[in-house]
Amino acid sequence: MKIRAIAGITFKEAKRDRILYLLFFFAAVGIIASRVLAILTVGEQIKIIKDVGLASISVFGVLMAVLIGTGLVYKEIDKKTIFTLLSKPLHRAQFILGKFLGLVLTLFVMTLCMTAIFLTLLYLHTQRFEGAMLVAIGYIFLELVLITAVAILFSTFSTPILSSLFSLAFYLIGHLSWGLELIIQKMRPGAGRTLVRVLYTALPDLENFNFKTEVVHGLPIPSAIYIPSLFYGLFYTAFILGLAILIFRRRDFI
Amino acid sequence: MRKTSFAAKGSATFLLVLFLLGSAAAFTALKVHTDGIPRKMVPGSSVIYLPSGKFLKHATFGYSALAASLIYLWSIQYYSTPTIDDRFDHLDHVFSIIAELDPRYTDPYEVGALIAVHEARDAHAALRILDRGHEKNPDLWIFTFQAGHIAMMNLRDFQLAEKYFKMCMEIPGSPEFVPRLRANAIFRRGDLQTSWETWLDIYRTAPDDRVRRIASNHLYNVKSTVDLGEIRKALTAFRERYGHWPEDLDALVRVGIVAQVPRDLDGEDYIYDPETGDVRTRISPWRR
Repeated sequence: MKIRAIAGITFKEAKRDRILYLLFFFAAVGIIASRVLAILTVGEQIKIIKDVGLASISVFGVLMAVLIGTGLVYKEIDKKTIFTLLSKPLHRAQFILGKFLGLVLTLFVMTLCMTAIFLTLLYLHTQRFEGAMLVAIGYIFLELVLITAVAILFSTFSTPILSSLFSLAFYLIGHLSWGLELIIQKMRPGAGRTLVRVLYTALPDLENFNFKTEVVHGLPIPSAIYIPSLFYGLFYTAFILGLAILIFRRRDFI
Repeated sequence: MRKTSFAAKGSATFLLVLFLLGSAAAFTALKVHTDGIPRKMVPGSSVIYLPSGKFLKHATFGYSALAASLIYLWSIQYYSTPTIDDRFDHLDHVFSIIAELDPRYTDPYEVGALIAVHEARDAHAALRILDRGHEKNPDLWIFTFQAGHIAMMNLRDFQLAEKYFKMCMEIPGSPEFVPRLRANAIFRRGDLQTSWETWLDIYRTAPDDRVRRIASNHLYNVKSTVDLGEIRKALTAFRERYGHWPEDLDALVRVGIVAQVPRDLDGEDYIYDPETGDVRTRISPWRR
């Protein structure tokens, strides 16, 4: 109940944030501009529209999660409103979870709006409803949920600027960690290789939520991957939130 | 009361740590599991997004050398992935982008040319890459040198090889053996007169005995090629006139087909077999 109240307030607060609408505007421009970019290509125009559209939803979604998420907890501490909140019978874990869910709800609404624009554009171009895109967008949203958790984690102990940088670094690492697998293949067995393997396993693998290539090219997605990828995202998010709560519980505000 | 609160807080922390460990174990196991699920890929589809290097250079905000390095690293991985059947379709385009982003980065020209020749089996693409390298780095001899080799060994276009070796030897710092490669290309394209003159020039200007001996051997080879050609022509004329091969080469002089039988560069007679009409040098030019 308390978590719901905090989530509701966070949603209302995020709704008032101008940066949200600015990013949504650019996302919409990006999605619509994909139609213009498609004119520049030779051959498959629809591929360019899908690629740019999905990328816009993903990139601007991440920016929303990071730029709003990193300020959520910090603002409460900075404006001292945290004292009022924590003086109430409210656990710090409930506060963190409420903030997280409020932002996730905001992102859900934003993703819905961006998806609507994207699918409408696709419909105008192909004259058919491209339902397969929803799979990719669904997993993009799952990625946004994880990034939100990461942004809140950094927000519990750092300034918004540093938290934004850390969160974006997390996002980049998550999409480039596959490079470690290539390095592992080229390394000789030994301590170095084991270390890189441990790093590869522990670092986030956001490619698990990336089905953009498959849906754009109409490739079959192995059914065995849906559930493990979903739970991978959920467990990673739970881990990050757990870490955020652990840090936030130990923070002294006076 | 205070003690109970501390105990409760301690157990909550303990449970939280347990939760963290559990969730970490879960996502690690899931990561290992999802890694094992093969996913369909469209390798190489990203190549269509590589714009012209000229435009990309402006988009790199001053990091064009870094962008060149990254594209080069990517290209190495890309071209060493045999599962991408059509990976060589945009080979020239990819390496032209690197050249535009960082014209002085020499490795991509050399490696790109090697990939084109040995992997893509496209010697012309290799020459285009090396030509670009030479155009952007006219002070470096390596590109014309490699191009000469490719023209000679892969295309067997000796005229083109000679052109590249000539360009190479005119660049300061080029290896001293390039003029000899050029002379060899001239010989192999069949221009024996120019080949003789070129080797003679190398012989006269040789810096040491080793080079002089190499030039001498080539001069021997050029002269014997000319001589043996003339002798074979005379032998054919003799056979057409008398219906058999002559008993010895002097017979060609006796019947007036030639004024005199040429001798090799060392002043020795060529070896003649009256049974088969075959004529050859006394010794291999390279074992003199």
